[in-house]
Amino acid sequence: MPESLLSIQGVTKNFAEVQALHEINLEIHSGEIVGLVGSNGAGKTTLLRLMAGVYKPSSGTVNLSNGEPVTTMRHELGVVPESTGLYSRLTAWENIRYHSRMHGIPDSISWARTEKFAEHLDMKENLSRHTKGFSRGMKQKTALLRALAHGPNILLLDEPTAGLDITSARTVRALVRQLRDEGGTVIYSTHQLAEAQQVCDRIVIIHNGEIRADGSPFQLLNDTDTDSLEEAYVSLTQDQARTRKEDNDRESAFTGWWRRFFTPKTPKTTREVMESE
Amino acid sequence: MSDGSFLRVRAIAKKEVVEFTRDWRTIIAIIVIPLLMFPLLFILFPVLLESETAELDALELSIVIQTDGLPENLAENISLSSMDYSIELLPNLTSLSEPGQDLERVRNSSTDAILRFESSEDVWDFAILHLSTSERSNEARNRLLITLSEWESSEIRVRIVEGGMDVNTTLDPLRWDGEVSSGDVATSGEQSGMILSMFIPLVLAIWTYSSAIQPSIDMTAGERERGTLEALLCLPCTRMELLFGKWLAVATITGVGVLLQIFGLLFAIGYLASSSSFIGVPQLSMISIGLIVLSIMLFAIMVVAFELALAMRSHSVKEAGSILAPALMLILFPALFTQVINLDGIEGFWFAIPVVNILLALRELLMNRVITEHVLIWGFSSIVYATLAAYYASRQFNREDIVTSLS
Repeated sequence: MPESLLSIQGVTKNFAEVQALHEINLEIHSGEIVGLVGSNGAGKTTLLRLMAGVYKPSSGTVNLSNGEPVTTMRHELGVVPESTGLYSRLTAWENIRYHSRMHGIPDSISWARTEKFAEHLDMKENLSRHTKGFSRGMKQKTALLRALAHGPNILLLDEPTAGLDITSARTVRALVRQLRDEGGTVIYSTHQLAEAQQVCDRIVIIHNGEIRADGSPFQLLNDTDTDSLEEAYVSLTQDQARTRKEDNDRESAFTGWWRRFFTPKTPKTTREVMESE
Repeated sequence: MSDGSFLRVRAIAKKEVVEFTRDWRTIIAIIVIPLLMFPLLFILFPVLLESETAELDALELSIVIQTDGLPENLAENISLSSMDYSIELLPNLTSLSEPGQDLERVRNSSTDAILRFESSEDVWDFAILHLSTSERSNEARNRLLITLSEWESSEIRVRIVEGGMDVNTTLDPLRWDGEVSSGDVATSGEQSGMILSMFIPLVLAIWTYSSAIQPSIDMTAGERERGTLEALLCLPCTRMELLFGKWLAVATITGVGVLLQIFGLLFAIGYLASSSSFIGVPQLSMISIGLIVLSIMLFAIMVVAFELALAMRSHSVKEAGSILAPALMLILFPALFTQVINLDGIEGFWFAIPVVNILLALRELLMNRVITEHVLIWGFSSIVYATLAAYYASRQFNREDIVTSLS
């Protein structure tokens, strides 16, 4: 059994009235690829943000195995957020260098690592370009390069292949496996079951803020007595998925009232639509 | 601050300034506009006004004079003022100012103005009908008023002579002896400081606030909206380092803008003064200069921290803009109010009011007045306000929900 790296104990996360995560218990071990699988709004991103120390749990703890808070391991952390988070008026290399400098890594070292991974991802020619004109795929690759440039031990990847073409997605998956083989730990959020099956050693199914299953793909099939992960997923998440609403609920009562005051009623019938024309 | 912390703050500030200045519109906003605004206003605007005035002077106007007898020399003077006139009989009215039947003639511009002039024993009564929304009509009225005033002066002189008195001693019995300016014991440097104290604090306050709006929004709500903040918050830097780095960047951009604007203002004033002794170099002691720099720094810390906090509270660039732009009133009103406060014998409490304190301090210091009691009050109160603003900003930067957005 590999050593425990990160321990999430009884974590609940609330945003105003909305409970984004409920009683989450999860152990992350060194050298494994853990897939967080769930629909939009399931709580994957919230869990990743808790692991990165961006959010604090409403209750429970997210600590390193030695009991220290996760923020103390940020030097070892590489993150690719859902939005990629690139500065459009900077070049790809400037974006990467900025984050590396924040990690205290000399430019020469981060350049050497960037160059190596950029070859893999076919991005070397684009490093000097401003990211403004980049496609979604190029942005994803740049964000990945940025997350790798300082040599992290733990990677938090939020939908890393979203927007990538098939070849690029394959390359990213291969790169993730390579990093695991070199001793790194990867937390990989996705809503693609097939992708999780290809990449991850362990799959954690999250639904409506709760962990519904946690184990290897083989274990999941066994536990649910199904033939495919898709069937397993469906059997575990039969209750209706909630929509993502943690952000919208934060507006004040007055702001909400004002917005509704100027919002006409949505018609319910064709006749009502015709009458409103 | 540790070495690592200093390097991170420097990296944040440098990246923000580099990124911000890569937008050419920003360069125009922070360099070109501040530099050119006052020279354009003070140099080009008067030139435009002069050409407009010359154009008006060249106009040939036509007026109607309704009178029961126009003095001959007055008729000559009116002709010399480039006004063609026709004479009509006075209509029967209770007051000469009543438009009566002539209302439409003036409104439809068939004549530029109507002068009504009536003799009544030793005095004359007059009224001018004009259309204040027409430049020609206004010009006709002005020329008539000047001509009538000149004619009245000559008439007064004639009457004084006819009364057997001396014109000069009758009209000017009280005279200033010597040069008027010699009576002012203030040095030219102090006078310059006085004049500059009416401009510089106002410019400084408004421009510091307004030029910090765009970078503050871009570096907070902008980052939030573009999704770049989340990646930044996962880095091994504290939120205070993040705040300090961004503050440094906004303060640098704002500082450059304010300095350029003051440079432009001084250049414009210098240009206007080049042909006269209207203004010179203000006479300031080293203590005054040092305190001016200190007051500006405290003001900038407070304003930039306050703007960063408000922008960070906002969920989007649009929301931040709609909060920060009207918040300019919080600076504008005190700034305008401060201009009319009399500094002689001013009570100490004025120097404890936010915004007003720094602007009053600048006014005093530009006049080279260093009053210890005032310096202590504005110094202490400004440190308190700057600390409160920084604390408020730090609270906003420590909010957990700054990574989420309404998008």
